[in-house]
Amino acid sequence: MNIFGILIGILTLLIIGFGFPLVIRGERIFGYVCWPYMMGIGISIIGASLFIQNNWLCVIIAVIGATFVWGSTELKEQAVRAELGWFPFNADKVKIPFAEIIEKWKAPHL
Amino acid sequence: MFPCVLVYNYGEIMEINTIGLTAAITAFLSIWIGHVAVRKIEAASPVIWIPTVASILLGLVTEYCSLLTNNLHLKTAFGIIGVTLLWDALEFTRQQKRIIKGHAPANPNNPRHARILANSNFHATTHDLLKREPSGKRFTHN
Repeated sequence: MNIFGILIGILTLLIIGFGFPLVIRGERIFGYVCWPYMMGIGISIIGASLFIQNNWLCVIIAVIGATFVWGSTELKEQAVRAELGWFPFNADKVKIPFAEIIEKWKAPHL
Repeated sequence: MFPCVLVYNYGEIMEINTIGLTAAITAFLSIWIGHVAVRKIEAASPVIWIPTVASILLGLVTEYCSLLTNNLHLKTAFGIIGVTLLWDALEFTRQQKRIIKGHAPANPNNPRHARILANSNFHATTHDLLKREPSGKRFTHN
């Protein structure tokens, strides 16, 4: 018996916890249209983890990637929360490349 | 279970390590399923202590499975699913608080939610205020 799985579970909880400020700040600064960038970063991080031979580091990096992917699916709802006044609303967001195109896509939401 | 994949890297053969991929997929799916399940079970259940206790027990059993197995991928997956279940146990109470604040829709057919809806000190509503597309503007009731 070794506690690798349990410790990874606890680490995952802590890493996912860092996803909340990521979503809140990401939406406030860039708006929900940054979701493809966040998803792309997440998938790239998970892809990079495949080349890490140390199991601990490999899992931690991959879970950080999963947090970005999960965060990308939360951005749309976070934008609505901010518009409803449940979170600070920033009307002066940083314009990201291809925002007009991304706005026409259906943002993912789980 | 997981095929050993080899890639050629600057003249050296290196093995692809899929343990992180297992963790990432497990984390994503368990959070997604847990997220949806907590909302649905909390909306349907007349009491929240039963799903809370059930989630704690399931979480502990899953963590024990993680201890027992020698397969590293299963060990990782069980470890993450177990902690997610333990967190979901807490989420039932958090979800009820969202109902009280009106941040999640109350189910009038659930007696517990009906009592929350009837209490004028709370801001509960049956409307799902998050079920809309972002407009880019601050929402007003006018």
